[in-house]
Amino acid sequence: MTRFATGWAIFQGLLIEALPFLLLGVSIAGLARWLVPQSTWIKRLPRHPLLAPVVGALLGFALPACECGNVPVARRLLASGAPLGTGFGFLFAAPVLNPIVLASTWAAFPDKTWLLWGRPIGAFLIAIALSALLGLLPESRLLASALLEERRLSQPLSRVGLLERRSGLVGVDFNASERRLEEVPLRPAELLQHSTREFLSLLTLLVFGCALAAAVQTWLPRSWLLALGSGPTVSVLALMLLALVVSVCSSVDAFLALGFAAQVTPGALLAFLLLGPVVDLKLAGLFTVLLSTRAIAITAVAASLLVLLIGQWVNLVLL
Amino acid sequence: MPRLSRIRQSRYLPPLVLLLWGWLLVWSSMSARLDLLLNAVFHPVVAIAGVVLMVLGAIQLRSAPRLKTPLTPLSWLVSVAVALLVLLFPPSPSFSDLAANRSEILPEAPRLSFFLPPEQRTLTEWVRLLRSQPDPDLHAGDPVRISGFVLQRPGMQPQLARLTVRCCLADATPAGLPIEWPANADPKPDEWLSIEGTMTTQTKDGLLINVVKPRTIQSIPRPERPLEP
Repeated sequence: MTRFATGWAIFQGLLIEALPFLLLGVSIAGLARWLVPQSTWIKRLPRHPLLAPVVGALLGFALPACECGNVPVARRLLASGAPLGTGFGFLFAAPVLNPIVLASTWAAFPDKTWLLWGRPIGAFLIAIALSALLGLLPESRLLASALLEERRLSQPLSRVGLLERRSGLVGVDFNASERRLEEVPLRPAELLQHSTREFLSLLTLLVFGCALAAAVQTWLPRSWLLALGSGPTVSVLALMLLALVVSVCSSVDAFLALGFAAQVTPGALLAFLLLGPVVDLKLAGLFTVLLSTRAIAITAVAASLLVLLIGQWVNLVLL
Repeated sequence: MPRLSRIRQSRYLPPLVLLLWGWLLVWSSMSARLDLLLNAVFHPVVAIAGVVLMVLGAIQLRSAPRLKTPLTPLSWLVSVAVALLVLLFPPSPSFSDLAANRSEILPEAPRLSFFLPPEQRTLTEWVRLLRSQPDPDLHAGDPVRISGFVLQRPGMQPQLARLTVRCCLADATPAGLPIEWPANADPKPDEWLSIEGTMTTQTKDGLLINVVKPRTIQSIPRPERPLEP
């Protein structure tokens, strides 16, 4: 019973600490969705294979959101005709390269300077690598079909033929009701309602994640954690698996990582903070509005391999 | 089941859930519950988030009749249950249990305390000092006036300890001092004690270490802010 009371207190501590950051992340994601302009500047973004993902990654500072909040923003960018590299750079890097996530990482690990640098740099490299890899696939096999149709509407005819557009001019009628949701700017009341639903949905995932973290801290014997956490490769793999399962928002995942920080290797800690924003169980569902099943599988495998390599390299340097 | 469906269809449910969570954060701030859970730096952040959630909930409650609301997911009801449980059952952690499962890597001191007179040093400051100046003889004979909880690790002598947190209880790190308990003392895990005495040295497993020799041991209630930064 004593142990249960301790676990209950850890759970409350994690949850109450993370809630303000979740609220901030969802609020900004809502504002970003409202403010992302439908103007032509999106189409003027660079298409260079390296420059495009860099610009996309840096957009995270202008449109800060966690990984759940930025999926609709990335979809909006791609549907409006933004270069693929920019869209993917934003999708994969912005959940980390934004002021809120960097602030929460600093709040959780003020004494780990290397992590404050390592996390954004790692996220940046992963985003560029994934963008380059996904760029090898043709758009038709890369993007979700609904997004592909919308995107082709935004492309000039020099790039996309009339037969490919499915805009009603030639080919199948476009589903106007689905399009309206994305095109018509939300009224403030609708935006608030939308953000509330997003907040409450993510809150449930956060509750689950905090419960798991508190249970691990309370009931998993320290000797097990130390045995698992001290192996340079095993610890990285274990924390990667945890990131996949826990599926907690990037604006609060640093607080969860704090619970394991003392027991695991530095590489494992970084791996947890890098993989979660790109791949987790919750995102697998969200990504279906953006990517084809094949592209999601490629993203998951490639991101996992990259994170494993980065984690091991960090262990090699810091251990 | 029809009742559950009616609840899930209610357009007032999302703003009410928001209000509930907002109230939870505000209540946690007002009831000093946060003192047991978080570093004090984060207390205002939690209070502000609670107020914001309540304001947003109240605004939506007013506009709820005019908005179409999709069916509320069942998982939201789980979060409602969790919020009610958190409100009903305040935290009551066993510090000894928590500390026994943690490493003792203390965070850096927020301020230099080495120049304080020995009797003004807190337990955590003593631990930091002894770790940074590892010659135990330097402090032998210094007066000690500390308070903390009894930390009982399996197979070890009970120590007097405090928990330090940078963020929340999840990263709590124990700082413990060995005590030379008198023969008649019976320290129980989690019991809060105030000890006045002298710093001495002892040889343990071939190593010279500092040990507090109590002159008086007094049982005290848990302090209002038991966690140290």
